[in-house]
Amino acid sequence: MPRRLLTDFELMLVLAILRLGDDAYGVQIAREIETTAGRRVLLGAAYAALDRLEDNGLVSSRTGSPTPERGGRAKRFFRVTARGVQAARLTRQALVTLWQDVPQLTEKRV
Amino acid sequence: MTHHTMPRLALALLGRFVPESDALAGDLIEEFQRGKSRIWLWLQVAAAIATSLLKRSRTIRPLRLVEVQPADALERSTRRYRDRSVNLGASPLPGVGGLGLVSLAMFVTCAAPHAWWLFLASALAGVSLGVVMIAMRPPSPGPPLTIRPEAAAR
Repeated sequence: MPRRLLTDFELMLVLAILRLGDDAYGVQIAREIETTAGRRVLLGAAYAALDRLEDNGLVSSRTGSPTPERGGRAKRFFRVTARGVQAARLTRQALVTLWQDVPQLTEKRV
Repeated sequence: MTHHTMPRLALALLGRFVPESDALAGDLIEEFQRGKSRIWLWLQVAAAIATSLLKRSRTIRPLRLVEVQPADALERSTRRYRDRSVNLGASPLPGVGGLGLVSLAMFVTCAAPHAWWLFLASALAGVSLGVVMIAMRPPSPGPPLTIRPEAAAR
């Protein structure tokens, strides 16, 4: 089976979930990406990507308890699986390898 | 602090077009109650519906060569043919059609061209009625039967 690399958005989602730990649900994940990476997140797009990651076994999810401030709807908490961590590592490795030895991207030392 | 009343139409559309959208709806409600604008909410709902429809269009569906299952087909073949109503308006929703609008337009054009506002008001009312009927339609019993490529390969 070919190794599965993550898209940039998938990588951000996985890293945000890892940073948040047990409190990783839709709103918090979107906020984490917006504050740390400066990228606006559409919640629908985030859930579509998270569903795809879950289908591929890279994240898992569980449903929390319904709360009144959410109109009686439950939170869906996400967790990165061991395969997800491995996919994030592989993606980083691929990006770093591509980054190396590119003269235009070499930082000038003052 | 709750300072907004949640647009029910937005939630109804989300529930109608995005399967298993409870967690997403909860997230939207949470953010809306914390002060996000209606524009933000509608943008999120529109994007979620668009993403869901795009995802659905990419799903591989099996060919449906017969309308009914073989057991049903045998049973139905013994029944007498019954007249079925035909939706002349070519609309997926019975009652929301175009023939009424066309006849009204013809009437306005021929008989009372100065009453153009009547035609405009009818058109707007028809569109609004259609949107409300689509939003209030009960959801389908379940997702369509799909075959994923990885499952088919097994």
